Amino acid sequence: MIAVDRDPSPGKKVQLMATCLCDSFFDDVAVATVEVLEYLKCEVTFPEEQTCCGQPAFNAGDWKSSRKVVRHCVKTFAGDEPVVVPSGSCAAMVFHGALLEFEEESDLPEVRQLAGRTWEIADFIVNGLRVAEWPGKFPAKAAFHRSCHTRETNSGAATRTLLESIDGLELVPFGEGEQCCGFGGTFSVTFPNISAAMGKLKLGNALKENPEYLVSGDMGCLLHLGGIATREGKTIKTRHVVQILRDSLRNGGLIP
Amino acid sequence: MNNDREAILKRVGEAVGGLADRTPYPSFRNDLGVSTARSLDGDLWEIFCERFVAVNGMPVETPDAMVEYLKTFGYTHGYCDPALRESLAPFFDSGFTLEESFDRQDIDRYQFGITRAHAAIAETGSVVVTDRLTSSRLAALAPWVHIACITRDEIIRDTVAAVADLGDDPNVVWITGPSKTADVEGILIEGVHGPGIQICLLL
Amino acid sequence: MKSQPIDTYASELAEDVRRAVADGSASGYDRRAASLFSDFEDPDFLRRTAGDVKQHTLENLDTYLAQTEDRLKENGVEVHWAGDAEAACRAVLKIMRDNGATKVVKSKSMATEEIHLNDFLEREGIESLETDLGEFIVQIDHDHPSHIVKPIIHKNRQGIARSYEREGLGAYDDRPEVITARARKFLRKKYLEASVGLTGANFIVAESGRLVLVTNEGNSRFCLAGTDIHIAVVGIEKVIPRDRDLSLFLSLLGRSATGQQLTVYTEFISGPRAEGQPDGPRQMHVILLDNRRTEVLASNCRDILRCIRCGACLNVCPIYRQASGHAYRSVYPGPVGAVLSPLLAGEKFSELADLPKASSLCGACKEVCPVNIPIPDLLLRLRDKAKHEGIKSPGTPPMGGWAYLASQPTVWRASLSAGRLMNLMPLNLIPVPALRAWTKSRQLPEWRGGAFRKWMKTRKIGGKDS
Ligand code: SF4
Repeated sequence: MIAVDRDPSPGKKVQLMATCLCDSFFDDVAVATVEVLEYLKCEVTFPEEQTCCGQPAFNAGDWKSSRKVVRHCVKTFAGDEPVVVPSGSCAAMVFHGALLEFEEESDLPEVRQLAGRTWEIADFIVNGLRVAEWPGKFPAKAAFHRSCHTRETNSGAATRTLLESIDGLELVPFGEGEQCCGFGGTFSVTFPNISAAMGKLKLGNALKENPEYLVSGDMGCLLHLGGIATREGKTIKTRHVVQILRDSLRNGGLIP
Repeated sequence: MNNDREAILKRVGEAVGGLADRTPYPSFRNDLGVSTARSLDGDLWEIFCERFVAVNGMPVETPDAMVEYLKTFGYTHGYCDPALRESLAPFFDSGFTLEESFDRQDIDRYQFGITRAHAAIAETGSVVVTDRLTSSRLAALAPWVHIACITRDEIIRDTVAAVADLGDDPNVVWITGPSKTADVEGILIEGVHGPGIQICLLL
Repeated sequence: MKSQPIDTYASELAEDVRRAVADGSASGYDRRAASLFSDFEDPDFLRRTAGDVKQHTLENLDTYLAQTEDRLKENGVEVHWAGDAEAACRAVLKIMRDNGATKVVKSKSMATEEIHLNDFLEREGIESLETDLGEFIVQIDHDHPSHIVKPIIHKNRQGIARSYEREGLGAYDDRPEVITARARKFLRKKYLEASVGLTGANFIVAESGRLVLVTNEGNSRFCLAGTDIHIAVVGIEKVIPRDRDLSLFLSLLGRSATGQQLTVYTEFISGPRAEGQPDGPRQMHVILLDNRRTEVLASNCRDILRCIRCGACLNVCPIYRQASGHAYRSVYPGPVGAVLSPLLAGEKFSELADLPKASSLCGACKEVCPVNIPIPDLLLRLRDKAKHEGIKSPGTPPMGGWAYLASQPTVWRASLSAGRLMNLMPLNLIPVPALRAWTKSRQLPEWRGGAFRKWMKTRKIGGKDS
């Protein structure tokens, strides 16, 4: 098994990997990421050359194409600063997937170097910056969907720690929490029926207790679940974890 | 077939021969698989009873109680290991028929089978039967009620001790409750091929 | 556009079957979780350790196999080797012919499913009867098992009762206890009529030559109490090094499969019956089966050979739950099958190359696997393999154009703000009908390409222009 060890005290100068989904649909998530990191006194740079982490081709089995994109990514995020990503899925691509497809490549060390300093945002806040309590307030009922790519990483627990500490925020439990939302990138396209059925199941479970918000650390899941909800005429606000963190700060008057 | 042997071993050798570093055998405690949630300290028979009941087994502390049970449910015709006959026969009244051999031509004639067990495992609520101590594999399996007999000092603590105790008997079986299935719609039914009632009698 | 076979199968699956499979697997999942998490503080450590033991064994299989063979022989067991399915079937037949045997009773074994032993023996005029209740019902229905541990998870009692009626096993009665009792009555005669008891093995211990068999029904015990000859067909990957490993493996197997601490009958068999024992086989044969396992061992997917066939990955898999086992068109369904079946298919790999695609890569399978097999990684490797071999995959978008764009930052940025990336975004990098299928049940959000980049450039930090 390929795994990386990460520096436990990563420093406060960070590079933001915004992800292609935020780049094209969910700009506010990237904005919230910057605002949250800056609230934590991080100095955020956004390497302009960034595109995508390479995951779509990796998952499709086109590793040659994917490696091309990963190599670009490695070049773009050169340096030693931690790279912070508002997505468990893209982060896992960098610190796990990329290593797998570079196993037999001569530039594996460079990829490993990037992998060793790439963090999913909640993991970074809790285990990198050692912040375990989140200030501000967010009076609402929310369902938290632990996205699948955060399995076996610290992100799920870190997210829970942060959300549970927010004043006023009530996380409602729901059944079959371990089940996938059905997105899976191109999976949702190549397996439209199974994917939609999975999404409906997940939504049914998550909305049982009538939460106002559906929260996740991956916009992919939310794009998918939110899309199904809209089509089915269900009202649920979807939010990225980092948007909740940011709004909590705002509600508490801690940031403008 | 011998060609197959050489060919397979050659392919295996080639498949693993080139591996740069091979995974070492991990170090772990023998009892890693033994649950720590419930204590195994105390009287092992009591712990065994609790676990045996949890898997729908029926522990019985005296031959009298066993006979009473059989009588109550009308199980009057059975097999008894000849080696146990002397000690158990006095508890059965004339309403019972005890046979000392098991007729494989007519296995449904026996409502119960009494055999000697080798041990019982407290941790899992299992009775351990071995080929050398079991007077007839069929008698311990085919009748609706199986009564496995053990003595108090034969109860062992956990599966680690039970594995260490496997010895050189060619056939050891840990029986953890009555034969059962949930194949039909997930509904639990006991007594599929083997006993529907599994008793452990303390001698 | 052709669609993915498993997706099509799922969409056409009868609702009652889908429900049965979904409920059955969900309850399996719950039982597993309940028993592992209430009994152990850190079940993951158990899974990882067991995984390492198995991986170690596989990577040293040359040594362990030789040791296993030696011990078996010392124990008085006859050892046979079978390179492929045909050789294994022939070996069984030869043993039977040599002994003038015409009837076999079988306990459940995936290896014999894999080599299609029943069909082979029937063609040779031998009666081969499944004795596990589920497998027995599968056999009278000429059906296939759809789950590794619960073969008839896809069937309901009404269907079974009709099958019984058809086969002369009794008038229609769909009570599960009646179904079970009728099988009991029918099969117990058969055990005593047959001269051969055929089993697989869950484990075979190298240092002692012990075969370990687990069942709940006690059918394998009956096979080995009623017959004269024991034949075990065992995949070469079933070896574990030492007896001491058994406590851990049995503990994980029972809990992972059905949430039991131990299955009801756990049998340790190291040879023919003991002297003085009136029942059971006087001869014992072990057929060690390769059937492309050595190819898997040589591949970068060798980890799948750790599998102890507990079925936990099926129970937790959202795709399996929607599609049921038959959608996988092979002996091994679900996540384990999506890896193993194409590999075991050999030159027919391309026919099953869609199986590794049938996953959202959610990783639930890896999380539950008692031997910690990185199933998603293996699925990905097989996707890579399929791509290498030029195997077409319906609906999978070509990635070349996207990869080009994603490594050309200037073009990427321009495409973003022009909204052109819409056509190249992973989601939409797809033939139109598939997109329609996608948007039929979901709504895409508004395109906001480049908005964040603009904000990042023009915002004020702490009141100052950035
Ligand atoms: S792959 Fe793992 S979880 Fe799946 S059947 Fe095999 S051992 Fe069980």
